[in-house]
Amino acid sequence: MKNELRQKLAREPFAEKIRKVAQLLRLAKTFPRRAHGQPANRSGR
Amino acid sequence: MNPPSDNLPLADVLRAANGLVAAGLIEDWALGGALAAIYYVEPFTTYDADIFFIPTDKSLTAGIPGIYAHLQAQGWQVEREHLLLHGFPVQFLAAHGLTEEAVREAERMDYEGVPAKIFRAEHIIAIAAGVGRAKDKARIEQIQQQADVDKTYLADVLQRHKLKLPTP
Repeated sequence: MKNELRQKLAREPFAEKIRKVAQLLRLAKTFPRRAHGQPANRSGR
Repeated sequence: MNPPSDNLPLADVLRAANGLVAAGLIEDWALGGALAAIYYVEPFTTYDADIFFIPTDKSLTAGIPGIYAHLQAQGWQVEREHLLLHGFPVQFLAAHGLTEEAVREAERMDYEGVPAKIFRAEHIIAIAAGVGRAKDKARIEQIQQQADVDKTYLADVLQRHKLKLPTP
C-alpha cells in the first residue's frame, strides 16, 4: 500500500478507524488463515 | 449498555471504565495496547482492548476481584484473562512504573460522547521498546512514520525509564 494512502488512513477520525477494525475482524473470522503445514482436509489433499 | 452491533462496543467499554472510577474501584485508567496505537496510525486487526488502571486498592490483587464482580454484575462474562462485553474481549491491567505514568499523562479524548483517556504515542513507543518483540518493533516504526511524535518528550520518557529504541 502506498505511504500516502496509509497516512490518509492514519489521519481518519478514531471512530471511523474502530469501524474499520471491526470490519477487519469480521473478515478474519470469515476467512481464517490456515496454519502452515496444515493439510487442506483430513486426507491431506 | 447498547445491544450488540457490527461495530466494536468500545464506547460501552470506556463507559464501564468510567463506572469503575465512579464506584471507587480504581483511581484512574487509560486505553493502551493496540487500540491506543490505532488512535495514531492506520487501522489494523486486533482482537481485544487493554484498559490500564491505577488501583485504589494497593494490595497484591490490585482490586481485580472487585472489578470483575462489578462488571459481571453488569452482564460482562469472564473468559480466562479477559472480560467479555458482547463477545469482545477486554483486559484490565494494573498499571505500575511506565504504564502508571502513561495512565497519568494520557491524552483526554471523547469517543462517541464518552470521555476517555488514551496513552500518548510516546508512551506506546516506550512500552513497545521495553517489551521488544518483533511486533513491538514494527509498531514503533509505524507510529514514528504515521504519527506526530514529540521527540523531546519521547527521549525524556526513554531516558527516565532506562529504555532504548530498537536499532532499525
